[in-house]
Amino acid sequence: MKSMIRINVIFLCLLMLAGLFGPTSAVAADKVIKIGVIYPLTGGAAAAGRELRAGAELAAEIANGVFADLPMSMAKNEGVKSLGGARIELIFKDHEGNPTLGADLAKKLILDDKVDGILGSYHSSVTKTVSAVAEQYGVPMINGSSTSPALTKRGLKWFWRTTPHDRWFTKDLFELLVGLTEGKVQGVKAISKEEIMNLASACEKTEWGSHVSGLIDALAKEYGFKLKKSLLYAAKSTDLSSEVRSLKAAKPDVMLFASYASDAILMVKTLQAQKSQAKIIWGQDAGFEKPEFRDTLGDAIEGILTRTVFLPKVVEIKKLAGQVNAMYKAKTGNDLGGASARAFTGLQTWVHVLEEAGSTKPADIQKAANSIKISGDELVVPWSGIQFSTSGEEIGQNVLGSGLIGQYQKQADGTMGLEIVYPFDVSSADMIFPLAGF
Amino acid sequence: MEALKHAIDFSDFPRVDLFVAGSVALFLVLFPFFPHSSFAMATMIQFLMFSLYGMGWNTIGGYGGQVDLGKAQYVGIGAFTTAVMLIRWDIPFWISMPIGMLLAVTWSFIIGYPLFRLTGHYFAIATIATSLILKDLFEVWEFVGAARGLEILPFKYQSPDFLRLIFKEDVYYYYILLGFFFIGLLYVNWFRKSRLGFYLRSIKDNEDVARSLGINVHWAKIKTYAIATAFVSLVGSFHACYIKNIEPEDTMSLDLSILIALMAMLGGAGSLWGPIIGAGILLPLKSYLKEWFGAKAGLVGIDLIIYALIIMLISAFEPRGIWGIIEKIRQRRRR
Amino acid sequence: MDILFSSIIAGLLFGMVLALVSLGLTIIFGVMDIVNFAHGEFLMIGMYTGLLTSQVTGMDPLLGLPVAAAIGFGLGVLCYYGFIRYLLRGPMLAQLLGTFGLMLFLRNSALLVFGSEDRVVHHGVLVGKSFDLGMGVIIPATKLAAAGLSVAAFLATWLLMNRSRIGKALTATSLDAQGARYMGIPTEKMNALAWGVGGGTVTIAGAVLVNFWPVNPFVGLLFTMIAFTIVALGGFGSVPGAFFAGLVVGLITEIPGFWDFFTYTFDADWMLNVPMTSFKYMMVYVTYFVIMVIRPRGLFGWKH
Repeated sequence: MKSMIRINVIFLCLLMLAGLFGPTSAVAADKVIKIGVIYPLTGGAAAAGRELRAGAELAAEIANGVFADLPMSMAKNEGVKSLGGARIELIFKDHEGNPTLGADLAKKLILDDKVDGILGSYHSSVTKTVSAVAEQYGVPMINGSSTSPALTKRGLKWFWRTTPHDRWFTKDLFELLVGLTEGKVQGVKAISKEEIMNLASACEKTEWGSHVSGLIDALAKEYGFKLKKSLLYAAKSTDLSSEVRSLKAAKPDVMLFASYASDAILMVKTLQAQKSQAKIIWGQDAGFEKPEFRDTLGDAIEGILTRTVFLPKVVEIKKLAGQVNAMYKAKTGNDLGGASARAFTGLQTWVHVLEEAGSTKPADIQKAANSIKISGDELVVPWSGIQFSTSGEEIGQNVLGSGLIGQYQKQADGTMGLEIVYPFDVSSADMIFPLAGF
Repeated sequence: MEALKHAIDFSDFPRVDLFVAGSVALFLVLFPFFPHSSFAMATMIQFLMFSLYGMGWNTIGGYGGQVDLGKAQYVGIGAFTTAVMLIRWDIPFWISMPIGMLLAVTWSFIIGYPLFRLTGHYFAIATIATSLILKDLFEVWEFVGAARGLEILPFKYQSPDFLRLIFKEDVYYYYILLGFFFIGLLYVNWFRKSRLGFYLRSIKDNEDVARSLGINVHWAKIKTYAIATAFVSLVGSFHACYIKNIEPEDTMSLDLSILIALMAMLGGAGSLWGPIIGAGILLPLKSYLKEWFGAKAGLVGIDLIIYALIIMLISAFEPRGIWGIIEKIRQRRRR
Repeated sequence: MDILFSSIIAGLLFGMVLALVSLGLTIIFGVMDIVNFAHGEFLMIGMYTGLLTSQVTGMDPLLGLPVAAAIGFGLGVLCYYGFIRYLLRGPMLAQLLGTFGLMLFLRNSALLVFGSEDRVVHHGVLVGKSFDLGMGVIIPATKLAAAGLSVAAFLATWLLMNRSRIGKALTATSLDAQGARYMGIPTEKMNALAWGVGGGTVTIAGAVLVNFWPVNPFVGLLFTMIAFTIVALGGFGSVPGAFFAGLVVGLITEIPGFWDFFTYTFDADWMLNVPMTSFKYMMVYVTYFVIMVIRPRGLFGWKH
C-alpha cells in the first residue's frame, strides 16, 4: 500500500513534468508565411486589442484572397505572388499590456512557432521589449501603432515602424495653433497669439505619456508658447479631481492630454464637473479616439480635438478607404479607427515587404524592407506612402507618414463624429473655436 | 565549516523526501538536454526565480510567521541597481549584484526597525504600503528612468557575456539560476537549524514566551527580514539581466509581492520544500492555463478564474498548503 | 485663496466617499478579524449593478441602489457560507491570500461577463450635474450624494452597533466569539450578517459612484488599497475611526491643491515643477506608515 502511493506520487510528478515538454516545433506546411502578432487582447486595453486584431485580420483576408474591385496590389492575387502564392497566417498572442510578458511571447513566437516576422504591439513599452527580442534573434518586426519617438532611435536593424510618431503629431498641434493665429483654419478668423498663449498639459506617466509631456514642453518653447503647468498622473487613478484643479489653477487657454482609455473618460468627466474653461482641449489619440470615449461621453465632447491617423471622414477623400471601411464595418459593426487602420496598414506593409523580398529569409526581408516604397494610393490611411529611413537618427521610421487632427462635432444624425481640422487643405468642416465650455 | 556541515545535512527528512528531492534535482540539472520548447524553458526559469523568491520569503514569512506582502520593493532595488550600473557605467552583474543586495538590506534595516513594531494586519498592510511608497518614488526618479523604466539593449553586448550576464540562449540563464537555486536551498537548510531559525520558530509559536526566554524578538525579526531581502534582491538583479526591461509598475508591483507570498504559502510556508513545491505547481499551471485558454475569443479571463478557484480551494481547505496535504497523508498512515 | 477652499472642500468630500467605500471593510473586520482583498471587487459589482439596472430598465441609476444593496447583501452572505467560513479556520496569511483568490475570481468573472470596456452611465439625476458654490468651489452632484450617503450610512451603522440587539450581538461576537457562542448568540449567523451588511454597503457605494466614475473590471484594486489604509489608519474595527481616517486620506489626496495654493501665493516658480500629483497616493501610504509607527493600533483602534 505504502509503496503504491509512493509510486503514484512519483508517477503524477512525472506526468506533470511531461506537460512541460510540448512538441518542439510544428512542421511548417508549405506555402504558409507565419506572422506573429502580439496585441493586448485582454487586460485594460482589450477593447483596443480587439480593433487591432480585426484590422490585421482584414488585411490578411484581403492579402489571401482576390478582391478585384479594390485598388490595392495585395488584393489582386491570392497570397504572396513572389512566394508562389503563399498564404499569410497570423498567430495572435496576448501581452495584456505587460512588457515582460511581451518579451516572453516574442521569444516563444520566434523559437517555438518559428514565425517569419512579427507585427505589434500597441503599447510603446511592450513594443520596446518585443523589438529588443526580435533584434537579438534577427527576426524582422514591423510596428504599426506604437508612437513613442524613442523606439526608432535605438539603432535597431530589424525593426520598422509605419506610423508617424508623437513628435510629428505634437508638431501638428502647434502648427494648428499657429494656423489659428494666422487665420488659416477653416471657419475661424485670425486671433491674436495672446489668446492661446498659455498651455497646460496632463499626461499619463509611463513610457508614452511621459515622452509626450517632454515633447510638448520642448515644442512649446520652440513655437514660443508658454507651458504654464505640466503634470504626470497615474492612469490607474481612483480620482483625477486634484489633477484637474491643478490644471485649472494655471488658467490655461489650451489643455493638452495624453491619456489611455478609462483615464481619458474620467479626465473629461472631471473637467466637465469642474466647469473648466479652456479654449482648446486636445488629446493625443489613444483614449480620446476610442469608440468608448465617444459612446460614453456623448455631447460633452463636442469641440474636443484629438490627433489621429485615420477617421471616418477620410473616406470622403479616399475611395479605397471607403471600400475597406465598408468591409471592416461588415466584419465588426464599427467604422475603422486609428488603431484598426494602422494595424491594417502594418500588415499590408508586411505583405508588400514579403512580395518584394520573394523569400522568407530574414536577410532578404531586411533588404526588401529597407528599400521598399509603397505609394500612398495603396493605403487606407492618408499618408503619401511608406518608405523607411535607413540612415540618420531614426532608423526604420516611415518618413512618408502624416497625422490628422480631428474635432468632435455633432453630425447630421445627431451623433458625435470626428471632422478633420488639420491639415488645413483637407479639413472637412469649420473648426469650433473657442470651446463652448462645459 | 560547521555551518557547511549543517547546510548539507538533510538527514532529518524521511528517505522518501530525499529520494524525490534528489530526482527532482537531477531532473533540473538535466532538463536542458531534453527536447523542450522555449516556452517550457521560460517557464522553468520563472519557476526557479519564484522558488528563490519563495525561499527568501519563507525565512521571515514561513519560519517567522510574519505576513510580509511587500517583497517587490526589494526586487526593484536589486533590479534597478544592476540595470543602472550596467547601463551607466558598464559594471558587470557580479559586482552590481552584491551592491544591490547591500542597498536592499540597508533599506530593509531602515524600514524594518519601525515596521516590526507593528503586528498582525497592521504589519501586513504596512509592508504593502512601504513597497508602494518606494514604487511611487522610483516612478518620478529621473536617474532610474522614472516611470519609463530602464532597458538593457542585448545586442550591444557579445553573447554569451558571462560577466554582464547577457545571453541570447536561455540555457545559460537557466544554469546560473540553478546554481543560485542550490546555494539558496543549502542556505535555507542551514538557516532553519541555526540559532536565529530556532528563535524565529519560537517567536512564531508565542511571541511573549520567546521574549521571556530572553530572545530579542524585535532584532531577530529585523535580521531575518534582511536575509529574506537579500534573497529577493539577488533574484531582482538576475531579473534585470534576464528580462532586460524593468519598470517600477512591473517590477515593484503589488501583484508581484502577493504572488511571492502566495506561491510560498500554497506550497507550504515554514517548510523547506514548500516554496519550491508551490512555485513548481502554480507557475506552470498559470503559464499553461494562459497558453491553453488565454487568447481564446469569448472566454477572456477564464484561465485566471480557474487559477483563482485553485487558490481559494487550497487556502480554505488546507491552509498549510500542498506540503500540509503531504504531511497529513503521512500522519494518517503512521496511525 | 480659491484654490485652498476648493481643495479643502473637495478633499473632505472625497474623504467621505472613500469612508463610505471602506465602511463595509471595517464592519467585516470588526466582527471577525479578516481583511478582505476582494472588497474593491464588491464595489465594482455594485457599479455594474447600478449601470445595468439603469440601462436595462431605463430608470435613473439611483433607483438601482436597493437592487445593488440586495445583490451585495446576497453576495456577501454567499461568500461567507460558501468560502469565508472555511477560511476562518486557517492562519491570517491563508485568509489574506484566500480573499486575494476571491478577488481574482470576481474580477475575472466580471471580465468574462462584461468585457474590459469602460462603461459610463449616460442619464440620471446626478449625471453631469455640479453645483457652483462660488469662491471657486464646484461640487459634482455625484460626490455630494455619495458624501451624504456616507454620513447617513455611518450614523446608521453606529446606531446599529451601539443601540440595537443585533448590534450588541455583533459587538459581542467581535469581542469574544467563543464567549458569545456560550451566551447563545448564533455567531455563524452574526458573521454572515456582517458579510452581508459589509457587502451591501460597498455595493451601494458602487451604485452611487457609477454616476460619475467609469467602470471596468479592474477598478477595484486601487480602491481596495485605499480602503485598507483607511481602515487600518482608523484602527481596525472602529466605525468612527474609519470615518475620520477617510477624511484624513481625502485631504491628503488633495495635497497637490494645497501645493498649488502656496505656489501661486508666493509666486514660487520652482514649486510649479514639483510633480506633486505623482506623489498623491504615496503620501497616503507615508501618512499611514508614520501614524502607525507612532500609534501601532491606529487612530481609534482597540483590536489588533
